[in-house]
Amino acid sequence: MIEFKGVNKWFGKLHVLNHIDLKVQKGEVLVVCGPSGSGKSTLIRCINKLEPIQKGEIIVNGMSVHDSATNLTKLRTEIGFVFQQFYLYPHMTALQNITLAPVNVKKIAKAEAEKIGREKLDRVGLAEKADAYPAQLSGGQQQRVAIARGLAMSPEIMLFDEPTSALDPEMIGEVLDVMVSLASEGITMCVVTHEMGFAKKVADRVLFMDEGKIIETGKPADFFDHPQTERAADFISKILSH
Amino acid sequence: MMTFYFGRLVEMFPFFLSGLWMTTKVAFISLIVCTLIGFVLGMLRANDTFFFKHLIGVYVALARGTPFVVQIFIVFFIFPEWGLQLEPFPAALLAMAIMGSAFICEIVAGGIASIPKGQWEAAASSGLTKVQQLRFVIIPQALKVILPPLVGQYVLLIKDTSVVSVIGVMDLTRVGWVTVMRIPEGLMVFALVGLLYFAISYPLILLSNYLERKMAR
Repeated sequence: MIEFKGVNKWFGKLHVLNHIDLKVQKGEVLVVCGPSGSGKSTLIRCINKLEPIQKGEIIVNGMSVHDSATNLTKLRTEIGFVFQQFYLYPHMTALQNITLAPVNVKKIAKAEAEKIGREKLDRVGLAEKADAYPAQLSGGQQQRVAIARGLAMSPEIMLFDEPTSALDPEMIGEVLDVMVSLASEGITMCVVTHEMGFAKKVADRVLFMDEGKIIETGKPADFFDHPQTERAADFISKILSH
Repeated sequence: MMTFYFGRLVEMFPFFLSGLWMTTKVAFISLIVCTLIGFVLGMLRANDTFFFKHLIGVYVALARGTPFVVQIFIVFFIFPEWGLQLEPFPAALLAMAIMGSAFICEIVAGGIASIPKGQWEAAASSGLTKVQQLRFVIIPQALKVILPPLVGQYVLLIKDTSVVSVIGVMDLTRVGWVTVMRIPEGLMVFALVGLLYFAISYPLILLSNYLERKMAR
């Protein structure tokens, strides 16, 4: 479903992705963790071409992501992306946020798109907030709308870039609950997060990165309880200690 | 003496109105053109294509960094040497368009730059094209930032139309010059000229202030 083949990326002199080889199977839930600056966000941002790469190739659903001949719109409609800072469109209601792409990219009739939109809002438990503007919603609610926005395109893959990091602690649960239920539906997910509870519950695999390299991968139970590398052990002790 | 001249001035008032009409025409047409070109250039400039960004940057710097009277002389006296001979009225419009678009371009580009990069990325991630990202997501948000200084710029551009009198366009300012040759009461004549400009500008100043307060909320 997603394949990285010898992917390298530099920000100036910083080697932010260092020869990444990775395969994510259809329906797999992959959790990516690592210290800040390890390249984990960059890794998933490359999957829908929010970032260019300098060497190697990424294949998603048979499409070469960074090949200029690839239909970028088609690629992106198959991938939902959820940001740390939500990035809802502040001038649109929750429902308008969700229907914008289905109407203008997939060319779905407005009434039909609104029906889908309301279903997705219901899906994330916010059916009654269809007409609310982002500023009227709490952080957790905004992030759930953002997830609904991603789901409205019926993507096969959902990417989450630290989806709970900008949230107050009491709102993290409601967002994770939505993600857990998504994971159980067989959608392919790549999640950058430090939420160990989430990882242990639903992840098929945990990937630990540091300094642009994949240091370790494993089943969540193995990774968190018996890390193979010192760097991973050190990292786990740090996220556990607070 | 004053009252005598005042009577003359009243007699000439239709002449002033024709000047006001010409000023309004120059201002109205050039503001529309400047706005259209300014928005297109501003959007291109906010894009990250190196070529557009820098080409437009050079144009903006030149147009903003030289006096309008020099620009209008170039359009009216030098362009003919390069094969573009224009009557005063179209020459005035062209010069206004060149100068005004540059200022509006900067306002638009600044407004677009004020929108967080994540808004572009969110829109791009959902498959919207660059043009759709601008149209549905970026511009509607940027307008809040753009509108107050844009209307302020309109006021400045309306006043700048007075410069077109130097190439013989019979606008309000030129009407003032012509009149003052017949009625040697400069203060009275140009007070009237100023008052008529003010009549157009002031509503826009009020609008700009109103927008600024409204958008700040």
